Parts: sequence; C-alpha cells; structure tokens
Amino acid sequence: MTFNDRIFGVLLIVLAVAYGWGASQFPAPFGGSEAVGPETFPYLLAVVLVLSSLYLIVRPDPDNAWPWSRTGVELVIAVVVLLLYTALLQPLGFIISTTLAVGTLCWRMGADLPRAYMTGALAGVVVFLVFNFALGLALPLGLLSFLEAG
Amino acid sequence: METLGYLMDGFAVALAPHNLMFALLGAFLGTLIGALPGLGPANGVAILIPLAFTLGLQPETALIMLTAVYAGAMYGGRISSILLNIPGDEPAMMTCLDGYPMARKGKAAEALAISAVASFMGSLIATIGLILLAPLLADFALTFGPAEYFALFLLAFATLGGITGKNPMKTVVAACIGLMIATVGIDTTGVQRYTFGVLELYEGVDFIIAIVGLFAISELLFFIEDKAGGGKEKMTVNKLTLSWKDIREIMPSSIRGGVLGFIAGVLPGAGASLGSFIGYTLEKKIVGKKGYFGEGDPRGVAGPEAGNNGASSGALVPMLTLGVPGSGTTAVLLALLISLNITPGPLMFTQNADIVWGVIAALLIGNFLLLVLNIPLVGIFVKLLSVPPKYLLPIVTMIAFVGIYSISNTTFDLYFMVAFGVAGYVLRKLEIPLVPVILGLLLGPEMEKNLRHAMDISDGDWTILWDSGLAIGLWVFAGLGLILPYIVGPILRRRMKVATGTGGPEGD
Repeated sequence: MTFNDRIFGVLLIVLAVAYGWGASQFPAPFGGSEAVGPETFPYLLAVVLVLSSLYLIVRPDPDNAWPWSRTGVELVIAVVVLLLYTALLQPLGFIISTTLAVGTLCWRMGADLPRAYMTGALAGVVVFLVFNFALGLALPLGLLSFLEAG
Repeated sequence: METLGYLMDGFAVALAPHNLMFALLGAFLGTLIGALPGLGPANGVAILIPLAFTLGLQPETALIMLTAVYAGAMYGGRISSILLNIPGDEPAMMTCLDGYPMARKGKAAEALAISAVASFMGSLIATIGLILLAPLLADFALTFGPAEYFALFLLAFATLGGITGKNPMKTVVAACIGLMIATVGIDTTGVQRYTFGVLELYEGVDFIIAIVGLFAISELLFFIEDKAGGGKEKMTVNKLTLSWKDIREIMPSSIRGGVLGFIAGVLPGAGASLGSFIGYTLEKKIVGKKGYFGEGDPRGVAGPEAGNNGASSGALVPMLTLGVPGSGTTAVLLALLISLNITPGPLMFTQNADIVWGVIAALLIGNFLLLVLNIPLVGIFVKLLSVPPKYLLPIVTMIAFVGIYSISNTTFDLYFMVAFGVAGYVLRKLEIPLVPVILGLLLGPEMEKNLRHAMDISDGDWTILWDSGLAIGLWVFAGLGLILPYIVGPILRRRMKVATGTGGPEGD
C-alpha cells in the first residue's frame, strides 16, 4: 500500500500553493522593493516543496500502518491528557494537574492505578519544590495557593 | 602555538569550580539520557535547554553542561547494547555484535569497562583532531561570501540524510517544512509574514518549543503505540576483573576506531552510525582470523565504540566552525547557541573565543569525568535502566512541560508544543525525518539573510549564487549528497543489515 505518501504529497502541494499565494500578498516593504523582497525566499521554498511533493506522489514509499482501533484510542487519550494538562495547569495549579496528567499517562501505559497516581503526585511535589525553592521559578499553585501563606 | 594559548584560556574557563560542577552534572545526566529507553541524545539535550535558561546559567556554563550531556549520551548508549542487545541509540548498534555475546559469557562488566575506555580514547583522539582542525577551518571559512554560505546551507541539508539515508527527497520535503516555519514572523524589512494577526507569532516560532515537541512528545506517542511501557528484563552485572593487559590489547583497535570515527564525523553525510560501522568492519579486516568477532571479542566492542564517540566529537567541527550541524544532536546544540545570542561560525572563534575554547576544554575534561564516572558507577546506571518506561516517559514529558512553561510562563507555548508533538508523530509515521525540519527552523533566517546579501551585491543577478569556484564546488557536493544515496545507499544499507542482522540505520 502506498497511500500515505501520496495523500501527504497532495496535502503538501496544497500547502505549498497556499504558502506561495500568501507570499504574493505581502505588502511591499517600506522604501521600495529590492532585488530580494520578503516574498522571494518563500517563493523558492514553495517551488521546491511542490517539486519534492510531486516526487512523493510519483514514487511513494510503502506505508507504515496507522494504529486504528484500540491503540489509536490510547493515542487520542494521551493527546487529550496533554491538552487538558495545559489547560488546567494554571487554574488547578502545578501539583494537582501534574498528579492527574502524569498519573493518567502512567496508568494508560500499563501501570496499576494506585502506583500510577502515586508516581504523578510524587513527581509533581518534588519538581514543584525543586523549582520553587532551589531554582526560584514560580510554578502556579492554583487550588493549593492557600498553602502559600503558611 | 596561538591555539595552545587559547586552549589554556579555555581550561581556565572550564576548570572554574561552578563550570566543573555543571560539567559533572551534565556528564551524569548525559549518560542517563543515553542509557534510558526513549530518550535519545537529541531529545535529552533539547529538554535540558529550557532548564538551563531557567537556572540562569552563563552562556559558557550552559554550553559546557550541555556539551557534557552530549558526550555522556554517547557513553550511555552502549549500556543497553551490551546488557540487552538493544542499542540505546542508533550508533550503538554495532556495539551489540560483540558486546552482548561478552555479557552472555558472564563478562558484562568487562565489556562495559572496555567500551568506556574505548569511548574515552575515541573522544580524546577526536577532540585533539577538533583542536587542530577547527581553527584552520574557521580561518578558511572567513573567505566565504554570502553566496558561498547559501550554497553551504544547501549542502548541509542535502547531506543531512547521510549516504545511507533511505529517501533523500523526504529530507528535502522535511527541510522545506522547517524553512517555511522559519519564515513565520516579522522579517528583517519589517514585513509581517504568515502571522495571521496572532501576537504570539510576531517574533516567529520558538525553535526550542518546536524541538521539544517534535522529539519528546512524539516519542511518548510512539511508546504508547508500541505498548512498550512494560520495560525490559532484569539485568545483572558481574564483578569487574580487568587487567592492564586487557586494556593494552584493545588500545590499537580504539585508536583506529577513533581516527576513523573522527573523519566520519567531520565529513558531511557520514555521521556516527557510519563511523561505528566502519570502525567495526575495519577491525574485523585487520585482526582477521586471529579474532573471534561476533562471539564476544573485546576488540569488536572497542572499535565501534571508539568510532562512535570519535564521530560525535568530530561532528562538532562543522557545527562550531561553519555554524552548520551535521547531526540531530549538534543541531540541538546549535539551537542553544542561537538562543544564547551567539552566532556560530568562523567569527565565533574570534568574537567568543572564551566560549568556544571553554567548550573544547570542557569536552576534554568531560571525557575524563565520564571515564571516572562510568567504571565505578555503572551499577547505578544499570539500576536506573530498569525503571520501566511507563513511569519514565510521563515524567520526562512533564519535565518538558515545565521547561517550556518556564520560558515565558504562558500556556500558549504548551499548546504549540503539543501540536508539534502530534505533527512529529505523523511525520515519523511517514518516515519524514525530523532533523531537517529542525535544521530548517534554525538555519532559515541565516539562509534568507545570505540570499538577500548575495542578491544585493549582484544587484539582482541570480548567477552570483554559483559564480565562484568554491560555490560551484559546494553545489556539486550538495547535488552528490542527494544523488549518492540512490546509488551507493542500497549497497551500504544491505551490508550494515547483514552485519547487524537488524534493520539498517534510519537516521534520527
């Protein structure tokens, strides 16, 4: 099967054309145009990318299988965990969000539940302490900010 | 003699107590990074860069620490090759051939010690080579004009896949993607390009975020896909019984391997894997029937190990003198230099002489530290190796998050990093190499600047790009770099495959 490279090649050509078109829309730089303007280098790149993508379409490599089914779901879970980790880092604070994120990832990778979250909590607390006290970098405390006064 | 004076100054920098301490820390972390599964040298150095900034380190200290990490990672790769027959990183593949049989015979500790000594010799030879060659090359590079630099950057991309690379066109695609990302932001004439009005994009895409995302996050995803969370079998190391005679016996192999490795490291397109491969084949040829290669011959461990370390130090030559890295890890070191506001290239040897020579001296000192660290402490590294990835990788990911968050204290960067991670996963699935993407990101601005300069000089005449003999030579080599893999690549790959009995090298 050689679908991957072909599909990717087509997508890249679309990207290259859009990118080249974007370059043609740049306003002329202040002080008149020069031999090489802001659009010249992007034009070059767009042309090279179109040519190399055409090669991918004409001479594709054999496909690597994509992980559908359960493994695919695991991957989506991992990405979602990372996104939620990012979103919750400031509201919940570093320690709690790290416990949840690292714990969930360990669990999904095959650790048993209590150990997974213990690892997460331990890692969160240790890294928080190291960063806040040894390195002087303030990580957000979030929900635990009441501890700060004490 | 001038070089010697600079080197002495370099030692003064590198031997300052805090620099020495960070070199030691770097060497330790580096060995760990090389040994642990799923943390290649490039990935490990990338994660440590933002942390080096958070620590508020001086440029030379940061660079010394990360150079030590780089050197250490090359040492670490051999541990799992020898004990488990699983190379920790790709150049360590050849070490498996005789290292694992030695371990099977109950000589694991000897194999580890021999490989440490050979690594040390390889690095030492290559560092001396670096000291001799780098100033010459830097002087020569001063004659380069913008057109030559433009051609040189093309050469760097063309040879990045290496002559054993599978599909050079994919390197081109990857380089284009990287260069395109590099054009995002406000350019030198003040024009906004591809910012879509997003304030965070005005200054362009921070390559540290891209590197950490591409390497660290995609690695996590690959581990999940391979369900490799369980870890490896338990490893044991016997008590070391090594005599001076054993060390003397492997010395010739180590020296040959180191010299070959250095040459392979300096040349564009060869790299550490080829260095260790040539090191091994040469040993087999020279020692011939007297050896028992493949059944645990110590010389079969020493040759490729010295070659691999020689190549990794040799790879620093083009990075330091020309600003053009030849491997993934040196590309990451280049990222560090750029973010420290040091312009790599020939001028660095005059303008930042203390930093360059400090780093070179640190490389020498780092090697002694590594030798001292590695022989007695190998037991600790072996213990840490048995930490299963299911705990390790989530923690590494978290450290990557902390590092990126600490750059600007915004979560925007983190979303960006995750996006790069997913993109990195898709690219790796398509066998599009990631290193050219990163190199494109790093070199893009310089490449465009040189193109503009060249065109300003020639008043818009494109022929200036191949006007001098030097430029033509660089173009020819760049062309060869793309064509040769089609001709000699399959032959070399097949040979390496036969030798190792595994898949050929795929470039990191």
